[in-house]
Amino acid sequence: MLFVPVYIIFIPIFTALVIYLFKNRYINYLALLAQAAITVLLVLYHYTYKGNYGDTLFWFGDWQTIGISLVNDEISESFLFLSVFSWWMVLIYTFEKGKTDHNFLFFLMFLQGVFLGLLQSNDLFNMFVFMELTTIIVTILIAYKKAGDSFRAGIYYLLLNTSGVLMFLIGIILLYNTFGTINVEQIGSLIHLYGEETVIRFSYVLMMGGIAVKSALFPVFTWLPRAHGVAASAISALLSGLVVKGGLYLFIRINGMYAGAAIDYTEFFYWVGAITAVVGVMFALSQKDIKQVLAYHTISQIGIVMMGLSSLHDTAMFYGGFLHIFNHALFKSLLFLGAGIIIKAYKTKKVGEIRGVMRAMPVVSVFMIIGMLSITGAPFFFWFISKSIIKYGIMDSGIKYWILFVVNIGTATSFIKLSQIFFGQKRMTIRLKRLPQRITLMTLAFACVALGNFYIQIGEGFFGLPLQEVTVADWAALFDYALALSIGLAFYKLVIEPDYKPVRYIRNFQMSFETANYLFVVFLVVMTVYFVVL
Amino acid sequence: MIRNGFLILLLLTLFSVFYFSLQDLAEFGKNSAQYFLDHGLEETGSNNLVTSILLDYRLFDSLFEAGILLIAVSGIIWISKHEIEEKNAEFMIDKFKTPDLFVTFSRLVYPLMLAFGFYIIINGHVSPGGGFQGGAIVATAILILYYIDAEKETNIKMIVTIEKYLYLTILVIASLSFFTRGTFFTNIFDPNTFDTGTQSIYLIVLNVLVGFKVALGLWTIFTAFLKEGR
Repeated sequence: MLFVPVYIIFIPIFTALVIYLFKNRYINYLALLAQAAITVLLVLYHYTYKGNYGDTLFWFGDWQTIGISLVNDEISESFLFLSVFSWWMVLIYTFEKGKTDHNFLFFLMFLQGVFLGLLQSNDLFNMFVFMELTTIIVTILIAYKKAGDSFRAGIYYLLLNTSGVLMFLIGIILLYNTFGTINVEQIGSLIHLYGEETVIRFSYVLMMGGIAVKSALFPVFTWLPRAHGVAASAISALLSGLVVKGGLYLFIRINGMYAGAAIDYTEFFYWVGAITAVVGVMFALSQKDIKQVLAYHTISQIGIVMMGLSSLHDTAMFYGGFLHIFNHALFKSLLFLGAGIIIKAYKTKKVGEIRGVMRAMPVVSVFMIIGMLSITGAPFFFWFISKSIIKYGIMDSGIKYWILFVVNIGTATSFIKLSQIFFGQKRMTIRLKRLPQRITLMTLAFACVALGNFYIQIGEGFFGLPLQEVTVADWAALFDYALALSIGLAFYKLVIEPDYKPVRYIRNFQMSFETANYLFVVFLVVMTVYFVVL
Repeated sequence: MIRNGFLILLLLTLFSVFYFSLQDLAEFGKNSAQYFLDHGLEETGSNNLVTSILLDYRLFDSLFEAGILLIAVSGIIWISKHEIEEKNAEFMIDKFKTPDLFVTFSRLVYPLMLAFGFYIIINGHVSPGGGFQGGAIVATAILILYYIDAEKETNIKMIVTIEKYLYLTILVIASLSFFTRGTFFTNIFDPNTFDTGTQSIYLIVLNVLVGFKVALGLWTIFTAFLKEGR
């Protein structure tokens, strides 16, 4: 059981290679088999080590303290489950395609192995290698259609993320220069010795810079809408739902490592998250392309998660953000995959041209509506609960509370706009009878509803959290939701629908690669001034 | 102009902080380095400490570093729009424009480079070098062939397949230590029972495999780019 982390990294990679080599449609079914094997191993692993995660640590080649080690805890374990679940969804959704397209399966399965490795690594350079490899595979998946715009988006993604990852590498070098080790745990236990030194602070800044690019925080988020807008819907779902969260996961891990240095990052990253959330919503409101809308909402939701994660480890607010990661992974995958079906049927991505989905595709519509209710924070969905937790954490600060409310209104407005596609006359569409895709949507919608209603059991079972204190049937919160919806409706009718000039301006705003890099440097300097100089 | 000046100012700020941060604690933390110096040879059987780190202490990383090349190769093959089976005979190197002197010297240099590359690969555990570096040299030698014989045809499909098989073999051989020593990704010969000579056999095998894999990978990338540039 100790070596399960190795197996779950290498089973997908091995399968990917075999699929690539044989190019046989029956061999392609191995992907599902491998996925099942990983799932079983992971469940067994969970029950073996539940409660005493200290035992999961092991060193490759038994090189204690100088080699590479893997370790798991509650957080990484829950991420592992989420990843395997997401890959199940994408595999089933793309089953028709995957049966014949071995190249696609190759990259998809390889990415899974690498991503699972990233989650379990206990070594900074190892993390860097996995980040690099993830970046390259994701680039290929974005550019997979080989069209001009997907190609440009892929290169944009590759270059911007590589510069971020290189900053991460320089941070590692500084730490190695100081401590002579790159093991996360060892550095964590030594870091209080030099917590005040410039070198530690500066390495923190560089690492956070890399992570900010990876997780699309405020000034350096521009790669995300491009990449997620042009990739195939299943890939967008995977990227938005999961791979972006790799950056947030590293944020948790690296800040855990720097805990001894007593760096006060809460306030800074709260505001970075808040700005990200507001800017993301602002852009989403102006978009007319259904996938762009969803991509910009990913940015805003990441901002909200960041607002939660920024608070220190053991407070409720942290878990509010942390649990929202899972919630977001579910509903954003659901929305992207549903949007993919609709786009296929209507052959257009324009929100304005898609009408009458409710009549044409009632089943898909129901699932999409579940996703929309989840993202707008309706009661009996999980966002309602994690939002309550975050609100509880920032209750005493007026402006922080209002930012969350503004983001809520923006989200409501944007999904009121998106919900226009359900109404109207039925148009002739291409009939698509694809059972696997329906199954995926159903599973995700079911998971959304289950997470929202059985949150007490889930919270206790995985993290031992007392979530029963959060009440759903709270009239004030219900009123909040109704208020947000009605303001959103008014805002949509008055500002967004007439399509005023500022809205058009925001929609057509494109940031060049040069500007994005410029902003990255500015961001690094701002962080340096905040964390090192002050 | 103002924009660029501001940028230079920002970069200078970053660089000066970087510079001063290195002044702080430059002499601390030689833990691992000292450990490798003291124990590298007898624990891994490699005189070359880089190889001992690359192929033993941190073999897990090296597997994925090789994986990066593998993914890059398959990605480039996929994204370059031409059919894989297509001949790449008459590309940008025009036979008539290549000076005869250059061709002659290439003929002379080619076997030397190839031999040098193999030397670097095989002696990776004794002297500076190893699979990654030697593989790059071998790939360069193979690319010189394109100057000697512009009509040369390369079956990329076969090379890519061989490269994948080599990567699979590397993975299998790297994890063999699970059966001999009960732990993943280290030398299959236990340093307590075998001498360094025996241990180096394993290093040679891995170096050769990695070297071939890297050479084939770089060869493929170059050929794909040649076809693109045509």
